[in-house]
Amino acid sequence: MRRVFPSPEVLRPRAPFSRWDLVVIPGVLVLLLLLTLALRGATAPYGPNTPDLTVSLNPAHLPYYGLRTLLRMLAALLLSLAFTLVYATIAAKVPRTERVLIPILDFLQSLPILGFLTATTAIFLGLFRGNLFGLEAASIFAIFTSQVWNMTFSFYASLRTLPRELQEAAAMLRLSPWQRFWKLEVPFGLPNLVWNAMMSVSGGWFFVVASEVISVVGRDQDQYLPGVGAYIALAIQQADAQAMLWAGLTLFLLVLLYDQLLFRPVVAWAEKFKFEQSESSDTAQSWVLTLLQRARFSQRIARLPQPLWEWLWLKSARGHRPGVALEPPPKPRLRTRLADLGFNLLIALGSLALVGGLLGYLLGPGLGFGNGQMLRPNPNLNTQLSPEIAQRFAALGITPGADGSVWLSQLCAASRGGQALSSGLKALLETPGVWAPANLAAACQAPLAPAGKVAWPEVLEVFKLGFFTALRVTFFVLLVTLIWLPIGVYVGLRPRLTQWVQPLAQFGAAFPANLLFPLFVVTIAHFRLNPEIWVSPLMVLGGQWYILFNAIAGSAAIPNDLKEAARLYGLRGWNHWRRLILPAIFPAFVTGGITATGGSWNASIVAEVVQWGDTTLVATGLGAYIARWSTGEFNPHVGLGMLVMGLLVLAYNRLIWRRLYQLAEERYRLD
Amino acid sequence: MQTKRKTLLEARNLTKTFTTPEGKPFTVLEDIHLELQEGEIVALLGRSGSGKSTLLRCLSGLLRPSAGEVRYRGQPVQGPMPGMAMVFQSFALFPWLTVQQNVELGLEAMGIPAPQRRQKALEAIDLVGLDGFEKAFPKELSGGMRQRVGFARALVTEPEVLFMDEPMSALDVLTAETLRLELLNLWQSGRLPLKGILLVTHNIEEAVLLADRILVLSSNPGRIRAEVAVTLGHPREREDPAFQELVEEIYCILTTRPAPERATLEPLTLGHRLPQAPVGALAGLLERVAEGPDYGKEDLPRLAEEMRLEVDDLFPLLDAAELLGLAVLQAGDIQLTAEGQRFVKAGLEGRKRIFAERLLQQVPLVGHIHRVLNTRPTGRAPEERFLRELEDYMSTEDAEKVLATAIGWGRYAELFEYDYNTGLLSRSEEVASPAAG
Ligand SMILES: Nc1ncnc2c1ncn2[C@@H]1O[C@H](COP(=O)(O)OP(=O)(O)OP(=O)(O)O)[C@@H](O)[C@H]1O
Ligand SMILES: [Mg+2]
Repeated sequence: MRRVFPSPEVLRPRAPFSRWDLVVIPGVLVLLLLLTLALRGATAPYGPNTPDLTVSLNPAHLPYYGLRTLLRMLAALLLSLAFTLVYATIAAKVPRTERVLIPILDFLQSLPILGFLTATTAIFLGLFRGNLFGLEAASIFAIFTSQVWNMTFSFYASLRTLPRELQEAAAMLRLSPWQRFWKLEVPFGLPNLVWNAMMSVSGGWFFVVASEVISVVGRDQDQYLPGVGAYIALAIQQADAQAMLWAGLTLFLLVLLYDQLLFRPVVAWAEKFKFEQSESSDTAQSWVLTLLQRARFSQRIARLPQPLWEWLWLKSARGHRPGVALEPPPKPRLRTRLADLGFNLLIALGSLALVGGLLGYLLGPGLGFGNGQMLRPNPNLNTQLSPEIAQRFAALGITPGADGSVWLSQLCAASRGGQALSSGLKALLETPGVWAPANLAAACQAPLAPAGKVAWPEVLEVFKLGFFTALRVTFFVLLVTLIWLPIGVYVGLRPRLTQWVQPLAQFGAAFPANLLFPLFVVTIAHFRLNPEIWVSPLMVLGGQWYILFNAIAGSAAIPNDLKEAARLYGLRGWNHWRRLILPAIFPAFVTGGITATGGSWNASIVAEVVQWGDTTLVATGLGAYIARWSTGEFNPHVGLGMLVMGLLVLAYNRLIWRRLYQLAEERYRLD
Repeated sequence: MQTKRKTLLEARNLTKTFTTPEGKPFTVLEDIHLELQEGEIVALLGRSGSGKSTLLRCLSGLLRPSAGEVRYRGQPVQGPMPGMAMVFQSFALFPWLTVQQNVELGLEAMGIPAPQRRQKALEAIDLVGLDGFEKAFPKELSGGMRQRVGFARALVTEPEVLFMDEPMSALDVLTAETLRLELLNLWQSGRLPLKGILLVTHNIEEAVLLADRILVLSSNPGRIRAEVAVTLGHPREREDPAFQELVEEIYCILTTRPAPERATLEPLTLGHRLPQAPVGALAGLLERVAEGPDYGKEDLPRLAEEMRLEVDDLFPLLDAAELLGLAVLQAGDIQLTAEGQRFVKAGLEGRKRIFAERLLQQVPLVGHIHRVLNTRPTGRAPEERFLRELEDYMSTEDAEKVLATAIGWGRYAELFEYDYNTGLLSRSEEVASPAAG
């Protein structure tokens, strides 16, 4: 090769080490050490005879708890990534599968995340029998479900919008599917994926706090996994304000660490995958990435597995075989028709079976009917599911469920249809925490749903609760929009200010809002405010930041020439807003609004029932309903609550956000 | 004639049909016969939308013909074959890979180990004159340099056939010319194992400059309508009278419609693909023709040269002028009709009136929209309504373009109004209430 000027790289002597290695190598070793430490804790033995897990409120334990929490977040993120790559790829590539996989994803995404915790604990405990990792896995899975869906959607969307020209180039070069995946599809989807992962992790902090305390069937006490979330839960239970402050500090540091050590480097690295033709001026920077890139020896070690990769790479190559056209070969029409028909039939049958199974599980074998009559609700008498009361019922010959539930039908059976109440039972029914119908005999006359199952009138009731929650979500998202939108625009139009405020807003989104709940509880209790109203702001506490930083991002992205044109035409006041600002930030607002409402729905489960020490505030709503029933085993009531919330969120997104989103896409795009 | 050369690539009875969103088939290419011999550069010329790119993609195995077959060295083509390579109009470089990584990509697909890959890639980069830029990312390069990377990536796999889809049309004039000459030099130097080139272009001069044979495609459906052999020796000069004669000849072919196409021209249907001609450019062209030395008649190559228009910009204007009856095309010339003369001489209001008249008379789609709006009590209709109707005849993308053209024309003629934000078409005020005036 002919080169007139040697590049500076060639001239500089290349020592195998650089001074940056002195930082990177010890850093990596420390990380590995911490990782083994955390892993050892997470895989301790755990069986029926192990004492109940608990945490200590001594702040000295917080670093270790933080480590465990961090590990859970990391595991959930890696799982989400793996799931995303596989699921989205199948949906985008295997013909016909997207018709099933995408609606499933859409539905799972709208299900309340915390409901998954009860649903999966038993499974994971069975899977990792005798090991604490079963509980860990349940917690990780709950975090995973809070993160994965939007990542999967984003990657799927990227796969569907691959630029035509790059697809053609890849086909012409005869890249193998494996090569195409890593050289075209993953890089193209990466910037969006990283962004969504970041959003996910922000939301994840909220749920990590809620998913480290797990109730296990067969144990009276909740299990506190070592972690910051469990620490907070205990502090709330014991109303320990000092411990809350320590926990807040720890979380602050954790979020900061995560951002600096993981996301900033990844975002800076993902810059190069942006599909743009010209260089953008403001690119993300990260000192960690710079450090890693300059540490020569560490890089060399990182490259050790490369021969294996290269081997795989060449193994998958097409060599001299012809490539594949971008279209499938034309198949006989009749055959495709038949295959389509068969597939649709299969889906229809499958969904029918699923719906049937689900209804059977929720409503019992008669699907809510018996002897041609609609069954009446069969309520739980032990309303607080208190173990004490459950024991007293047991003593009187009525066996409560594993979670302490005692059903009306059981009482009826034990008292010959409510006619013959023993004095012990009578006294028990009068205790606080036990609910019984005023006219027991009449209630027992009605056809009751099987024990533990729900009845149709209850379904209606739950929808009504869902409506209350929907009202809260809508009202408060609108309210925070009114507050943050003008502020966001004010900041976004001033670049210097934006630089300062934007990271703060992102940090606010990541910082788990549940930490602030006790403040509200104390205030509400002190002033005797109506919890139905005053508990509601908690739902948007976390979501509001998305509205703020999307408003900032949207208004910061208004092209300068538009701003100047507006100034030239003398647009002022309301007209300025109506003609320039609102249309310009509309798409960003919609994006923020979707995230904020989604988060609020999810948060309703923790926000409609809040506690500080002995004070518990409850607001009427679907979130409270689910929270009340999520104790111990997954049961038809939790199932119903989740199902209804899923349906409502789906409807909410379809009817409101999807329309606004389309409007934004079509009319208000600035490019 | 020289000794019989070997056939590299051939297409027999190639037909390509796409389906409209309504599920109706529409034919883009019909019964194409084509051969590429060893040692030949063949250029494909045709108007926008005539199916040139589609043909190139069928030949290269990216698309599958709906009927007929393509053979490469006697083997049926079912996908891109080893020995084929393509250069794209938009370069199609992977922005996350450096120049060298982009170039190595084709070698990776061939399963060549890293050290050889590196060496071959560096050679190819050297060949296209990009050494020193191995580590650069595409977005750091100018358009011309990016296309050089495109060439390096295609040539590094040592292909026998090179497909090029308008490789120079995204570049500025000077860069394009340099690249053309360099390509020709490489081709003639025999340093490459390259045996044949198939080039799609809009630029008639480019075709004459590079090709040994030029195939002209007709539109709707695309057929091979003429074949022009270019026997000029290299280097070819644009000033050469023989060169100019060839250019003129191709203009003639492109402006004379074959009999069946002419027949379909007169009674236009709703689904006619309106040429994308903005009214302003159309008026400019007509004015220029009227003012020209020949008073209402002009030689097309000269017009194109003067107005700096390439075929894909020029022909939609010519088509529109002809469609509206403002001009006729004959043997490489454009001549204004009486209407055209009237249009040019009129003031703004007069022009709008004439244009409206012509539109209602000649363009069924505009007439249809106008009628629908006038019969509706509200005087309004969403654009989607017309889009759906057009999709009976063509793809969504084409339908959107055609409707946009019709709306642009109708708005200019004040036949109707259009609100971009709501996507609503509405009756024009004056037309709506003539009594009020
Ligand atoms: N995948 C597709 N689906 C439906 N229609 C298509 C598809 N690809 C091309 N077409 C249609 O086929 C016709 C020919 O397109 P093609 O791109 O081949 O024309 P072209 O001669 O290359 O035009 P241009 O000069 O504008 O590049 C157009 O009407 C186009 O809309
Ligand atoms: Mg084309």
